[in-house]
Amino acid sequence: MIEVLKPGLETTVQDYPGRKGCFGYGFAPSGPIDHWSFRLANLLVGNPVSAAGLECQFIGPTLRFGRDAVIALTGADMGATLDGTALPLWQSLTVYTGQTLVLGAARLGARGYIAIDGGIDTEPFLGSRATYSMAGVGGLDGGALKAGQHLPLGAPRRIAGRRVRAAARPSIATDRQWTIEVVPGPNDDWIDETGQRRFLESEWKLSARSNRVGFRLEGPEWSFADKAIHKAPEHGSNPSNTIDHGYPIGAINLCGQTPIILVNDTLTLGGFINPYTVISAAFWKLGQSRPNEIYRFKAVTVREAQALRREIDALCGEASLEPT
Amino acid sequence: MIFAEPIIAPGGDRFVVVYFGDDAAIELNFLALGLKAALAEAGLKGVVDTNPCYNSLVIEYDPDALDYDDLLRELRALAAALGPVDTLELSSRLAYLPAMYLDPWTKEAIEDYCKRVKPREFDPAFVARLNGLSDVKQLVRVHSGTEHWVISVCSLPGLPLLRPLDPRCLLTSPKYDPPRLWTPPNAICTGGMSTSIHTLRVPGGYNLIGRTPVPMWQATQALPIFKDSVVLLRAADRVKFVPIDLEEYHDIEARVNEGTYAFNVTNYQRFSVGAYRA
Repeated sequence: MIEVLKPGLETTVQDYPGRKGCFGYGFAPSGPIDHWSFRLANLLVGNPVSAAGLECQFIGPTLRFGRDAVIALTGADMGATLDGTALPLWQSLTVYTGQTLVLGAARLGARGYIAIDGGIDTEPFLGSRATYSMAGVGGLDGGALKAGQHLPLGAPRRIAGRRVRAAARPSIATDRQWTIEVVPGPNDDWIDETGQRRFLESEWKLSARSNRVGFRLEGPEWSFADKAIHKAPEHGSNPSNTIDHGYPIGAINLCGQTPIILVNDTLTLGGFINPYTVISAAFWKLGQSRPNEIYRFKAVTVREAQALRREIDALCGEASLEPT
Repeated sequence: MIFAEPIIAPGGDRFVVVYFGDDAAIELNFLALGLKAALAEAGLKGVVDTNPCYNSLVIEYDPDALDYDDLLRELRALAAALGPVDTLELSSRLAYLPAMYLDPWTKEAIEDYCKRVKPREFDPAFVARLNGLSDVKQLVRVHSGTEHWVISVCSLPGLPLLRPLDPRCLLTSPKYDPPRLWTPPNAICTGGMSTSIHTLRVPGGYNLIGRTPVPMWQATQALPIFKDSVVLLRAADRVKFVPIDLEEYHDIEARVNEGTYAFNVTNYQRFSVGAYRA
């Protein structure tokens, strides 16, 4: 058991890959946005990569341990300390009963991940422990952690003394610039050639008005192809309006002139076009970028996107670990 | 217009979207639901999820288990094998949902919007006027006088997106601009050419016309109807709204809360598109 002394800004229980197969019920998948760091944290403590852990957004929690545990911290550097002693990232570490883990504001990156051996053992909902705050399901009481709550833990596994090889860790940008890979489509043909070029050649700033539902972007104007302007009236009056359709996770959803990247807690459907889709292998970059940082988008093919996904999946295995 | 062949577009590395046409003819949804059923029947390994809508079907797949080109080939073959839309038969239940039209809770939400955002005509009167109906009473008769087809269950847990099967009962209306700040859960609302039942207290754009005392989903699965599934409706089901008054509303609400309410939902029947269109 772990007692939550301070919850942090928005700390949630997540598992990987989240609540899959529930679009038809109206449930987003949830799960960790930086699923690379999340899986490595689980591997370090001897858990299956799917086990439930914590995602800490921007400011981490303060937690007191009710049993001896092995933990790992990955993702954003939140200046973690254990009873006042600084802790390294990307390692499995022993924590004793009664000790207090403190995570602060993210110094590099945006989302820190905490894995605990045995995993967090909250009640699964539709096969997953991932928190989906909008619907109030999953995680602990369906929402972000609150002070005074207790996190139940699974059976201990006690694998300490391991770290992730440097080459297998995501490398968080220190220059506030990110290249995000996208596959054009499903609705790139609604944007004219100039607009498509402008999207790929411009800088886009991540807005502070972003959350686990959507990442809002600020940048140049969009221009539209003929089919966006001359269309059946059921599509709606704005060029970015279309007849309601399902949204892929990662879709860059264009609301008027505002692009919003739909992430893990997205609405599953709506009436705006999706000219591009961020690939799953780039989600760790979304997870670690901070408001006002700059995105440049790079078009890749479906095949290239799938190859990048396989590269990250291959890094989320035992071969990426070494003894400390 | 139904495309001669559906257009399949990628949505990143693990989704594709199949578009059956470029307008919102109900036949396009029948085709999308036909393909959804055919995919389930085929048991294609690596299909993770499907998400239908007016004229499209989103498919999520696991690229490690299902090759992209193989998926495209399978989808084209299954879509071609659906044949003409009139030959489609879909599994469908009919759910009778109690509906209090012109209820006090959605009225409060509209009044709050008028006070805090900007004045607007009372939603039911607005929808009635735009659709050439004599008054809100006729709106209630029209809206409750048809079976509504479940296009999709989407967007929020258990939220059904509905359109009337009787085209004479089609209501169209523009959405709120700017959107409403909140909507009472279980509000029955209409916008564009759809009706939906908002299942959470969320912002919204549809016009509010009523409220149902029964939930569309239940995480605790306490009511018997939710024993096997946390959501009430599925795409291809049908809904008939049964007008009730305030007293009945409170009575049903009490039975929902004590876990004794019995939903009136038929078993699965074959819905023949050909018979419907004839």
